[in-house]
Amino acid sequence: MSSTSQKHRDFVAEPMGEKPVGTLAGIGDVLGKKLEEKGFDKAYVVLGQFLVLRKDEELFREWLKETCGANAKQSRDCAGCLREWCDAFL
Amino acid sequence: MSPAFALPKMVARGGCGGPLPRWRLHFPTGRALPVGPGVSAAAMAELTDAELRKELIALGYRPGPITATTRKVYVKKLGCLRAEVAAARRRGRGAPSSPARTPARPQQASPSRQRSGFTSPVGAARDSEEEDEEDEEDEEGGQPPASRWGTFVLLLIFLGILTVKMIGSGWLDRREDNFNLLPVDCDKRTDDFCQAKQKDVIMNVLHELYKYLSVQAGNFECGNPENLKSKCIWVSEAKDHVVNITGSSPQKFEAALHWILNSNKDLGIWLKGRDLSEPVTKVEEVFCLESAHPQMGLGCRFRRAVVTAIMNLFLFFWSLITLWGILIFLRYRWRKMEEEEQAMYEMVKKIIAVVQDHYKEWERNLERYPYVGIFHVRDSLIPPQSRKKMKRVWERAVDFLASNESRIQTESHRVAGEDMLVWRWTQPSYVSDSEH
Repeated sequence: MSSTSQKHRDFVAEPMGEKPVGTLAGIGDVLGKKLEEKGFDKAYVVLGQFLVLRKDEELFREWLKETCGANAKQSRDCAGCLREWCDAFL
Repeated sequence: MSPAFALPKMVARGGCGGPLPRWRLHFPTGRALPVGPGVSAAAMAELTDAELRKELIALGYRPGPITATTRKVYVKKLGCLRAEVAAARRRGRGAPSSPARTPARPQQASPSRQRSGFTSPVGAARDSEEEDEEDEEDEEGGQPPASRWGTFVLLLIFLGILTVKMIGSGWLDRREDNFNLLPVDCDKRTDDFCQAKQKDVIMNVLHELYKYLSVQAGNFECGNPENLKSKCIWVSEAKDHVVNITGSSPQKFEAALHWILNSNKDLGIWLKGRDLSEPVTKVEEVFCLESAHPQMGLGCRFRRAVVTAIMNLFLFFWSLITLWGILIFLRYRWRKMEEEEQAMYEMVKKIIAVVQDHYKEWERNLERYPYVGIFHVRDSLIPPQSRKKMKRVWERAVDFLASNESRIQTESHRVAGEDMLVWRWTQPSYVSDSEH
């Protein structure tokens, strides 16, 4: 439990609905803005990208780095968060 | 960020973001496309989506949809995979690889191999596999001899015990016979030498007689091929046979019989007189001889043992079942009796109620007589279809009332022109009833 942040736990606890992309673990204000500029304004759109990449975490992290310049930790947190959400709700 | 710069970084990280199946390194794709560091990123970027997809699949990776957003990532992935294949082939060329062995066991050793990063040559793995197989074979070959020896020894022991048991008793008896030192009648010639010789002869005769009798008894018990009438052999027959075999005179035979009569030990030969119940005291009384230890074959003994065991079991179970049956029967009887008693008491209660009601109605001038016929009561209490069934209960109830109920009196009156037994309620109505 201690390895996951509060943001992660909050996100994974319930269906994401219309939550903004900033609620994803690892995605702060800066990254959130960059993603929104690219068109990924809601968390579910990022989820869509994750699913299109067949839930491959490595590829998703690569993509996240490409798209908004996330570092290793941020991309790892985001990918882990989405994966757990998928395990729970998908 | 151009993929060209990114490529070496990814290779250095190792793993490249996806597991490559082992066999791919030994069977690289037979495509015409050159593989190696010479392939430029631009060439890869020119591939159409379909071609990119095909390339990825050929290298064993299954991509998702190639869209605008995912294309760049997949191109990078393709480059990474190609670099891995090239590196593996270069390393693979160093040590000879036999494709025949490794495909047989890719799954078992794959985790360790991936970890080692293909440093351990394939040959070493192959050697260990061969050793494993040989070890298994040796182990398998070693075990049967040990277990075979063990079973053999056990079998020998078992057979030994069996033979001892089979031959046992007769053999022991014969030994005992030989060590006996009872005095024997001598032929009035010399003392010591004569005695010893006589004893030997008689022992011999007895031995032959014993053998003969036991064989005959055994034959009689097991199938009776000679159609003997009984186990008891005529004296004359036994005498003839023994005299023929030993070549001694009939007097020796009679001396032997005398000896048997005089000895206290159990020699395994029974002498029977004409009258079977009386014991034989003189040699002349002996009518027939019987062996106490019939000699039977193993199969015969086994059969008899099995039959005896089964018979015993049968008898045991039969007696058990009989006892159980008796128990159940007794319980049933007891229960039936209880039920009858209950029925009788019920009937008695009903009768008392009817008679009392009748009396009360007479007091209120609704009835003509204070008494009521017994048969009328019966017919009003028991419906016609159960009158026969309840006959016993009814009669018991009537007897009970006659003997135990003081409030009801049995009288004989003329009712409707007919003399019949009636019941009359005699208790005055202001005394309370024990029932209420």
